[in-house]
Amino acid sequence: MTHTILIIDDDPDVVLAIRMPLESTGYNVHEAGSHVEGMAAVDSVKPDLIILDVMMDTHTAGFQMAQELHGPDAKPEHKNIPILMVTALHQTTPLRFSPDEDYLPVQSFIEKPIDPNMLLEEVAKLLKKE
Amino acid sequence: MDSSLAASDRSHSGRRLHPTFDELCQNTRLLIGLRWVAGLSILASTMFAWAVLDISLKTLPLLFVGCAVLVYNSILYNLFNREKKTRQHVWRVTWVQVILDWAAMTVLVYLTGGITSPALIYFVIHAALSGTILVRWQVRSLAGLAILLVGLLAVLGRSGWLPHINIPELGLDNDLYKNTTYIAAVLFFFGTTIITLSELVTDRAQRLRQREQRIQHLYEARSAFMRIATHELRAPLAAGLSLMRNIEQGYTGELSPQQAAIITRVTGRLEGLTVLVDDLLALATSQEATIAQVPLERVSLRAVLEHIIERESPSAEAKRITLNTDLADDAGMTMAAASGLYIIFGNLLNNAIKYTPDGGRVDVLYRIAPSDRQAIVSITDTGMGIPAEDMPRVFDEFYRASNVKNAHIAGTGIGLPAVRMLVERFGSTINLESEEGKGTTVQVTLPLAARHSVVF
Repeated sequence: MTHTILIIDDDPDVVLAIRMPLESTGYNVHEAGSHVEGMAAVDSVKPDLIILDVMMDTHTAGFQMAQELHGPDAKPEHKNIPILMVTALHQTTPLRFSPDEDYLPVQSFIEKPIDPNMLLEEVAKLLKKE
Repeated sequence: MDSSLAASDRSHSGRRLHPTFDELCQNTRLLIGLRWVAGLSILASTMFAWAVLDISLKTLPLLFVGCAVLVYNSILYNLFNREKKTRQHVWRVTWVQVILDWAAMTVLVYLTGGITSPALIYFVIHAALSGTILVRWQVRSLAGLAILLVGLLAVLGRSGWLPHINIPELGLDNDLYKNTTYIAAVLFFFGTTIITLSELVTDRAQRLRQREQRIQHLYEARSAFMRIATHELRAPLAAGLSLMRNIEQGYTGELSPQQAAIITRVTGRLEGLTVLVDDLLALATSQEATIAQVPLERVSLRAVLEHIIERESPSAEAKRITLNTDLADDAGMTMAAASGLYIIFGNLLNNAIKYTPDGGRVDVLYRIAPSDRQAIVSITDTGMGIPAEDMPRVFDEFYRASNVKNAHIAGTGIGLPAVRMLVERFGSTINLESEEGKGTTVQVTLPLAARHSVVF
């Protein structure tokens, strides 16, 4: 079965960089450029995995969206979709984090600039778990 | 000088700043502390004067004043230390204590001789202290009130409406309190002292508050800048690098060996730039920057310069700038951190090219001083130069010279501060000479490591 992956990121170049390795591996890839578009796409596309950028229109849009999808008030059908969060924060802010069920309900992180091989590894790992 | 800064200076000095909540609390706490001392010293000195010196004082009333001070101070202490403090509440305590102190001091002055009392000076001290917690009109009113109270004591004593209390042991003329000239002189000097001092203190407190606020604004502007810079500088680099890695790792099809080699080079350069951006941002965010903590090692200055010149020559070519280099043969081993040297000379050469108009000329000169202990690198351009009035500030963080801003040349104002910090770290000196419209010469002098030094 072909897995469907939804990329939510407002930078078209980053979307392209994520899309290329995923498509060449045979995944079915969809994209959304904003928080609102992304929430709509989650319901219409019904992805098996979401790749979410931490900083979009606002610096915390990604965090908010992760809360909406996996937080205590999230819909049950959303809670089962794993999230891979794309971040550039690791190196530059004192706010260092690793996946934390309570604080940030995402399953894994990948740092920008994206390394395609590492991205594929991480995606495969998350889809296998599911 | 930067015109926007001058403007903000003016707007700051025009504004009256009220004491902050913390300041009010701190000063009230200080006044309460001092008042314990004042109350106890009234009691102690009265007892001492009565029992030991046998001075004919109004002992009981004075002891009463001392006790009253201690009693109302303990009430104030309790009021002030209530659990939930609001600004209004603290203001009330501030006012009540000042009024009570004024009353206590008036009684104290009366009991110790009215206009001839040595305790008059206490009013001056108190007015000065009030200047640190109250705003100008309040301090002025209090100073006026003090003059009025002392004047009233003098007039009432002089006219006999209030019986004069004399302390003969002070050795003053018994009728001094009736002497109009004396009264006028004391009131004059008392008045001018209390007014001048309280004005001075209020003014200083005001200025300190303004300065504090300005520092606060600067910090806010700085962190806002950092947030924007972090995102805006890194985002395009990260996107570009992500795309390059797709090509590098073959997700866009096969590459010829030559294409692959170029892609690897470009990726390398972008990675270098990412590191540079990170380092500069780190440098700007904290003075104890990461690079500054790198241990020093022997680095060949000539090799670093060659590499930087190679790196910067494409941007010179793009502007048809003649990049003339004259490097001595000596490797120039210096104790430094290579990454720091790259930042220093990378920034300086990059600036020279950036601020030189098309078709200009940039000279890079590397010499070893005859004494053989110092390397001198000078970079001369035929660029726009630095206006004389901007010269003292070009090494300030986020400062950009006026002509550069007017010419709309992109920059952050963090390059030269980073350069200077690193230059100092490596025990070097930097010298800047410039003439607006003609060009700039930057000269960096670095100490050389001993030729055969043993490195432990």
